[in-house]
This record gives sequence, structure tokens and C-alpha cells, in this order.
Amino acid sequence: MTLFSLVKWDPRCKIILMACLSTLAMLRGEVWFLFGLLVFTCLLVMLGGAELSGALGQVKGLLGLIFSLFIIQCFFTRSGEPWLVIGGFTLITSGGIELACILSLRLFILAFSALLLLTGEVRDYLLALVQMKIPYEIAFMTMASVHFIPILREEALNVFYAIQLRGCELQKASWRKKLHTYLEICLPILVGALKRTRAMALAMEARAFRAYPKRTYLRRLVLKKNDKAILVAVPVITLVLLVY
Amino acid sequence: MALEAKNLYFKYPKGKKAVLSDFSASFLPGELAALTGANGCGKTTLTKILLGILQPQQGLVLLDGRNIAELTLAEVGRSVGYVMQNPAQQLFCTSVEKEMDYGLLNLGLSEEEREKRINYYLEYFQLSRHRKSFPFHLSLGEQQRLLLAAVLAMKPRYLILDEPTAYLDVYRRRLLGEHLQKIRTELVCGIIVVSHDRDFVGEYCQREVVMPGAGMVENHVDSPQRRAL
Repeated sequence: MTLFSLVKWDPRCKIILMACLSTLAMLRGEVWFLFGLLVFTCLLVMLGGAELSGALGQVKGLLGLIFSLFIIQCFFTRSGEPWLVIGGFTLITSGGIELACILSLRLFILAFSALLLLTGEVRDYLLALVQMKIPYEIAFMTMASVHFIPILREEALNVFYAIQLRGCELQKASWRKKLHTYLEICLPILVGALKRTRAMALAMEARAFRAYPKRTYLRRLVLKKNDKAILVAVPVITLVLLVY
Repeated sequence: MALEAKNLYFKYPKGKKAVLSDFSASFLPGELAALTGANGCGKTTLTKILLGILQPQQGLVLLDGRNIAELTLAEVGRSVGYVMQNPAQQLFCTSVEKEMDYGLLNLGLSEEEREKRINYYLEYFQLSRHRKSFPFHLSLGEQQRLLLAAVLAMKPRYLILDEPTAYLDVYRRRLLGEHLQKIRTELVCGIIVVSHDRDFVGEYCQREVVMPGAGMVENHVDSPQRRAL
């Protein structure tokens, strides 16, 4: 069911909304507030018409990372009351749990707020950034990097399979070996990304990128009344929530 | 003893049509078979299913009678060598020598045996002078030869090569063809070559499995033996 459609929002509204949600997540440090913000963000994504199965699939990959960070925070933060003491050694404290919850909630909010952008086309965001007076080169680079994420993921998977197909038994490997393998995956990804960047720069210049100082656009984004209201209301509400 | 695909059905989650439908084929040890077909007809998908990287929605792959779904990728990799279309995505070590040694170490071979195989294959694929080089500094053709050398040094029972001649010059293409013939007969290795290179297929492959057109759902044509070598 869709109560309102994020697809119809101006891309600038979605960028501002995402920026405000992320700012709130990073600057507010209360668990209850962050939990409420996460619920609000999830509702926005779900009711706004984002494809939920795809959205959850994107966040699923982050679960392992968030869980690991949660565990690390629990065991390595020493503030607050001791909650779990074994043999006179304090393992978990209330401060550790609180910090772990805050960190996990922040990461979830960042991930879900980014999903708001899935309701639009990359070229619209590029246009939105340009109309927000961001230099075209920077806007283009930002969008190009977003565009290449699935390709990098595909390449990482290929290296991962290649390592295993050359006899590396990852399931039975120690943590040290696994960590080493993951580092090995980074090498071809990094080299590939650098090579691609160079090739892309050449290809763009061959097609007259930056040949003229001024660019023209076929379309222009026009703010509707609703969009203007969102652009004013969202930053104001964010400011209020940050101050109080 | 064979690498068999039985009644495979495969469709990508966001795909409109099935890439493979009721597809069956078997590849025998000591045979050099070509897998051909139009762009996007599912050749690379099939190779990934044969290796257990992708799981078909229906059907199964048997590696010498064992269901590949029950094996880990490392177990499959000890019997089936795979060279991808893009060699740069299969190289991950910091020198050519280490790249060669990676699989051999995982096989648990002695230092002497590893050294012997590394020397032989580097020499055969004319990469000896690059022994200490960073693999990503090599040209695409050299990277492909390095990958072939690294996989062949593991002496797999089956070998899947995805467009192996794509970056090779005429001379090295002939070298590869001759070496494939050699390991096919000497090691009784079953080789599947995914290729658009009609000359290579005609010259070196004994059998051609033609995949149906992109997204088509009828059975493939398993053409009769092309030419006995």
C-alpha cells in the first residue's frame, strides 16, 4: 500500500530529507530518539513506494558489519555499570550496551535513509545537484561512483569465487585466513577501480567532456508547491529536533 | 565419469525469461568440447552453474557422479579449473610467482613439485621473465596466459575456459590449442571452451554444444561429434 509517492517528489527534496535524517542520526545520541527516527525512516521507505524487497536486500549485506560493530562496542567500552562479570573481569557494561545500540541504530538509519534515493533515477539526482549549484564535475563524479557500486560488488564476488576455486577452503579456514582472503579481494578491486577511472576519464574527454565551460540541459527540474513546503519544513524540523 | 548437467532450469531473479530450460549436456574426460551460441544466450551462466557458483532452480550438476551442490567451491576447484572471461578479476596475488603458487599450495604439494610446475608453465606460456612482476602490470594477453598457467598447473580433471582466445595473438592461440590437445590426451582432462572463435573451435574442438538463442526456452542442440582428432 502506498500512502504517498516518493517517486513524485523532486529529487532535491529527497536529497535534503536524506541529509537531514543522517544529520539527526549523527548528532543526537539518545537511544529512544534514534529508535524513533529509525522507525520513522523505515515507514517513509515502506509507505513512500520504495521497492521493499530490493531495499531490504540492500540493507541485508550490512547486517554482518553492524553486528560485528555491536559486539566490539559491547566488549571494549568500559563506562557505566557492570552487567556481566566473569571471574572478577567485567565483560559487558551498561555503557557498552548503550554505545553499541546507538552505533547500530545510527548505521541502520544511514542505510535506510539512503534507500529513499532508490525511488528516483540517477540522472535526476545529477540534475538536482547541478541545479543546487554544485559543480557539474563533482555532481557527475558522485553519481558515477554510485553507479559503479553494483559493478564493484560483482567484481568482488568474482575474485571471491576465483580464490575458492583455486582450492582455498574458506568454510574451514581460521579467522586469520579468512581476514587475509578478504584483504586479497581488495587488491584486484582497487586496481580495477583505478584502471576503470583512467579509462573512463579518457573516454569522457574523447567525447568532449569539459570542452566548453557551460553545459546545457534538455530538462530542468521545477519545484512544485509540495516540494517547496518539504524543502522548508524538513530543515526547520531538523533544526528544532537538534536544538531541543 | 563425466561433468553432467541434467535438466537444468535457471532464471535470474530479475530476468523475464529463463536462461536455461530443461538443459542437459555431459562433458567427458579426455574430450575437448566447445560451448557456442549467440551473445547473452547463457554460456557464462551455464559455466557458473557447472562450477556450483550459481544454483539452478531445477535440475542438478554431477561431477563424476557427485552432486555439485553438496561440494564446496574449493572441492570443485580441485577437480575443475576455471578461467573467466576477464582475467583481471581472477588475479589477486602481488607477483606472478605467488599467483602460480597459490593453487598449488592449497593442493598441499611439496615445494619441489610446486617449483617444477611453476617453472614448466611459466616457461611454456613465455612468462618466465615476468616471474617477479606485479600481475596487474601485465598486458591483458599476458594476464590471460598467467591465469591459464596458474589453473593448468593444478592439473584439474576438467577445465572450463571462457573465451580463452579473446586476448591472444595468433601464435599464442596456437600454443594454447596445442597445449589443450596435449593435456586432453596425456592427463585425460575434459575441456570445455566457451568461444566465438570459429577457427579455434573448428581446429581444436571435437564436439560443439550450441546453446539456444538468448532467453529461449527450448532444448539445446547437442551437435554430433564434429571431428575426431
